[in-house]
Amino acid sequence: MTENFERINSSGDFFELLKRSGHNAQQSLSGIPKNAALEIPQGTTVLAFHYKDGIIVAGDRRATAGNSIMYDRCDKVIPIDDYSLMAIAGVPATAFEMARILSHNFEYYRRSQLRAMSTEGKVRALSKLLKDNVAMALQGVGGVSPLFAIYDTQQNKAFLYFYDMLGAEFQILTHVATGSGSPMIKGVLEHENLWGLSPLAERSEGEATSLSIRLLQTAAQFDSATGQARPEDKLYPIIAKVTKDGYQFIRDDEMETIYKSSMNRS
Amino acid sequence: MFEEPFRWMEAISTRHSYVREKLSKGQPVIGIPYNEGAIILGFSPQPGKIYEIYDRIALGGLGHPADVERLRMTLLDMAHAEGFNRSAEDVTIGRLLQFGLAPALKQNFEEIQRAPYLIQMLLAEINHEDNAEFFRVNYDGYWEKFKQGTVISGDNKVSERIQKKIDNTDFVSLALNKSIQSALRIWEEGRKKPALEKESLKSTDDRDELDDEMEGHPTDLKEAFERWNLEVGILNKNTGRKCLYSTLSVSEISALQSEVIR
Repeated sequence: MTENFERINSSGDFFELLKRSGHNAQQSLSGIPKNAALEIPQGTTVLAFHYKDGIIVAGDRRATAGNSIMYDRCDKVIPIDDYSLMAIAGVPATAFEMARILSHNFEYYRRSQLRAMSTEGKVRALSKLLKDNVAMALQGVGGVSPLFAIYDTQQNKAFLYFYDMLGAEFQILTHVATGSGSPMIKGVLEHENLWGLSPLAERSEGEATSLSIRLLQTAAQFDSATGQARPEDKLYPIIAKVTKDGYQFIRDDEMETIYKSSMNRS
Repeated sequence: MFEEPFRWMEAISTRHSYVREKLSKGQPVIGIPYNEGAIILGFSPQPGKIYEIYDRIALGGLGHPADVERLRMTLLDMAHAEGFNRSAEDVTIGRLLQFGLAPALKQNFEEIQRAPYLIQMLLAEINHEDNAEFFRVNYDGYWEKFKQGTVISGDNKVSERIQKKIDNTDFVSLALNKSIQSALRIWEEGRKKPALEKESLKSTDDRDELDDEMEGHPTDLKEAFERWNLEVGILNKNTGRKCLYSTLSVSEISALQSEVIR
């Protein structure tokens, strides 16, 4: 912790602050032979869709390395600031670091520039992190493919983005899923949106959370890298919403009730 | 010239007088607790007195705006680099001051070839036991900690009067609105006192000096609300978010104004 009195201007750029303090967030590895035995924890299902009040973001809790289950209580939906959430699929080490950088980046900008960063600025900040990470992604040790949900308080509108590992951003108007379990549920989401009782964007919070749990249970049925809920251990998926009131996670005690009711045919 | 100790001490003393004179018109910033956290407030002719520094830390400053800005950025940089490299829990005012800002301010003040910082700062924090704490930082790096609340002002007499009132008020038991209203009344009493003192001053010179001091400055809340900006920064420990800071909106300030001046 050192003071820097000499600098007199700031663009509010946290990346620049990191660089000044000697931190190199995205370093590629060079001259390292490929290690076939190296197993990096990854494997996931995260999904998000627009519902009546904003966006629902949900993810399972399992982290795997090859055939091994490494961890069963991984939080893959991460708050970035009061109005945004990131859901991660890919290598957790890189993804968690990105989330931390992003969170500090938004808060540092808001506090130093005395105004919140624009939605477009926030969306691009994550894209920049992914672009800086391309070398690691191509080396097979740092690939991340996140979802980003944000509520814009100026436009009174929720926005949802999907990113590929190279940093391209795609705005999603209905629904999206990523991770190894996502192919199993993308079709279900599309079917629900087109021919379900109502379009996803018109569903209530209860209907949206219930559908999310069912989709994650379905993904876990077919993808070994996606963890199922285990009520006996009080282990449930992470579900959060982003609305005009900011982000909010569904509490564990609420999840218990939602899970029980959602597992019944209705 | 400065190799002689006396000359150095003389230069430092002159520097103190210079800075105090420059700060003398600085308007009070008051930091007080309330039943859910901490409040920093102050009136000023131009906006830019109260700021958020980190998740649980707020800043109130007076002095030269460029110096306030430079030290605000220094605190922001230190807090965010530390919070990122370690944890938000490691970012405390005590650490920021003791190991960062205070030694640097002192060094700057005593390097007499460099321009001194024209600044006083009040920092508020909700510590990790959820208690409000307040810190007063002087231009020469000297800092003090207060639990009941504190004040900074360019005028020492105003500071003393307001501090006495703060010490005698049980702000911790008051709700947000009541706490702000009490602090505003204390601000008003602190400003009004010179008007009473003026009556008791015998010499015309003394009265003229006091007139100069108060020239153009509102002395009551009605005038202050009409001519100046009130800024109120709040750290609410029950917000449920990691960032505890918020400010009163324009409409909330108007509502407060009509309640206080009623």
